[in-house]
Amino acid sequence: MVELLAPAGDLERLEIALLYGADAVYIGGYDYSLRANAKNFSLDEIEKGINLAHNINKKVYVTVNIVFHDENLKDVKTYLQKLKDMHVDAIIASDIVIVNMAKELGIDIILSTQASTLNYEAINFWKSLGVKRFVLGREATREDIIRIKKECNVELECFIHGAMCTSISGKCILSNYMTGRDSNRGGCAQICRWVFNRCDKESIPFTLMSKDLNMVEFLEDMINIGVNSFKVEGRMRSIYYIATVIMCYRKIIDGILNKTLTEKDLKYYELILDRVANRDTTPQFYHKFPGPNESYFQDRMEVSNQDFLGMVIDYDFKNKMLIIEQRNYFKIGDVVEFIGPNMDEITYTIKEIFDEDNNNIEVARHPKMIIKLKFDEDLPKFAMMRLKVFDKNNDL
Amino acid sequence: MNKVLITINNLDDIKKLKELGINSFVFPLKDFCVGISNTFSMSEINNVNENNYLLVNRILDNEGIDKLKEELKKIKNVKGIIFDDLGIIPIVKDLDIEKILYLSHFNSNIESISIYLNYVQSVVISTDIKESEIEYIVKSIPDKLTLFVLGYIKSMYSRRLLIDNYVKFHNMEKDNPIEIENTNHKFLVYENDYGTILYHMPLFNGLSLMKYPCKYYFINSAFLSIEDLISLLKNESKIETDRAFLDKGTIYKLKGDNNG
Repeated sequence: MVELLAPAGDLERLEIALLYGADAVYIGGYDYSLRANAKNFSLDEIEKGINLAHNINKKVYVTVNIVFHDENLKDVKTYLQKLKDMHVDAIIASDIVIVNMAKELGIDIILSTQASTLNYEAINFWKSLGVKRFVLGREATREDIIRIKKECNVELECFIHGAMCTSISGKCILSNYMTGRDSNRGGCAQICRWVFNRCDKESIPFTLMSKDLNMVEFLEDMINIGVNSFKVEGRMRSIYYIATVIMCYRKIIDGILNKTLTEKDLKYYELILDRVANRDTTPQFYHKFPGPNESYFQDRMEVSNQDFLGMVIDYDFKNKMLIIEQRNYFKIGDVVEFIGPNMDEITYTIKEIFDEDNNNIEVARHPKMIIKLKFDEDLPKFAMMRLKVFDKNNDL
Repeated sequence: MNKVLITINNLDDIKKLKELGINSFVFPLKDFCVGISNTFSMSEINNVNENNYLLVNRILDNEGIDKLKEELKKIKNVKGIIFDDLGIIPIVKDLDIEKILYLSHFNSNIESISIYLNYVQSVVISTDIKESEIEYIVKSIPDKLTLFVLGYIKSMYSRRLLIDNYVKFHNMEKDNPIEIENTNHKFLVYENDYGTILYHMPLFNGLSLMKYPCKYYFINSAFLSIEDLISLLKNESKIETDRAFLDKGTIYKLKGDNNG
């Protein structure tokens, strides 16, 4: 089983991720999760998410991966028991006290990348404590992964896409010093993306910033060496980002497994993946030691693109019209495409736009306004309309 | 001072430190440490007739753990090992030396520490917590734990060679270490072949914590001259120091975070 594992910052993202092809999602509760700035899930929402996933034979993992202070331990056992009662598929943890509690409760444990595990002896140590699956440090090389798989016979979950810490995960407290927020308890302020002045001499500013991770090039190799779960980073990312990235990786993985993936497909998905994050990506540590090319050295502006134009919310069968909630400006004459769960991209040129009251309009300029487009077929719930930027047939 | 474990930059410093009553010395092991410019080979360490402890503060990959296994076969005159990587626990299990776990940024609660004490003789308590939390922990587990009391605190450990990449990109001459700053926070950056460490400046001074009942008090002398180190230990130093998070802990959640 090759698992595509998606991040979900809230219930909507969870549903989107599963619909767009994730086999499992990882989520955080209001407490004990390392992404305190994500919306996250109440216990009721966790239960809803688990039920939603299980109804379609998919899985939910809950992060309980902060470094625990004594004050944080007070209610955590009750919390874990509740997760157990909801039939959570596993928890993701790094602190040994949580690993022990989860084992006692009979909850499957995934060791978080926060535990900085890069060698087979460390894996065997945690395995003896009952850990079933491991998220290796993102510094693991291809050879590290092969040897750990061979010597330890454990499930491996590897990051394949998204932001990278400059630090070895779990080994950074820059936020603690510079913002007072505890990076190992969910308060990371991404200080490694700041620009520092040299104070020992006049010189060019110093930056630490890593480019993002993108493992498209090595996905087939990773499948062949036995990686079990392919993890996308980004519990704080938008629904459009989640949908796009998960759909691309779903198609790539399926194409590899079905032996139908072409070079042209791969290049197309790489273009889409690069554009959606608007950050440079590289494979980082997998095949070579990262040098200057794997880092940013300029103070960069992250201007998010406005490709996501709207979400399909319904279909008017009588008038054959798609009903769309607007997300970014578009107008008559724009060439767009629809993406959605279990469908190929559909290219569409906007010839007419109707507002909610069926009046003709020239542009859709207001966020969340309801508009209608003439369209011959129904599209699945959560299909999205985006600006067409790349043409698989002409651009590649 | 007989409970102090202090890292050594230079063998000549041992005599001066012994005059202060310190008699246990920590040797950063060559090829197995980051953030330290002076390291020692096993043969150099074996030739020192003191209470010698090894320091291994790298996160090890498979190759690193294999090499460490080989290195540990050469141990002759070593009383203990202080280490960060949990993969070292199984490989030192049968060695008749003291094992001290220094899992940076972890070990912030009694229960986790108690579990690790099933595998090692002492655990270094996190430097990321308040003094009141430290007091609660050490009084609950008296005379078994180790406190970091003096030295620069590692605020980031990257496997990347950040200085090397920076000078290559900008086509500059390399300085190592360098000092950087942003919003009045300064860091000392040092790299070797195994990664880059950012130390927060100024130096952490928690010598007042030595009133608590611990097994050891750990001092990291990296990037400190012996003169400054001695004056700090004698409480005669004018060097600027800080107390990290001892007085003002970090924020777990801002009021209103996550609606809860």
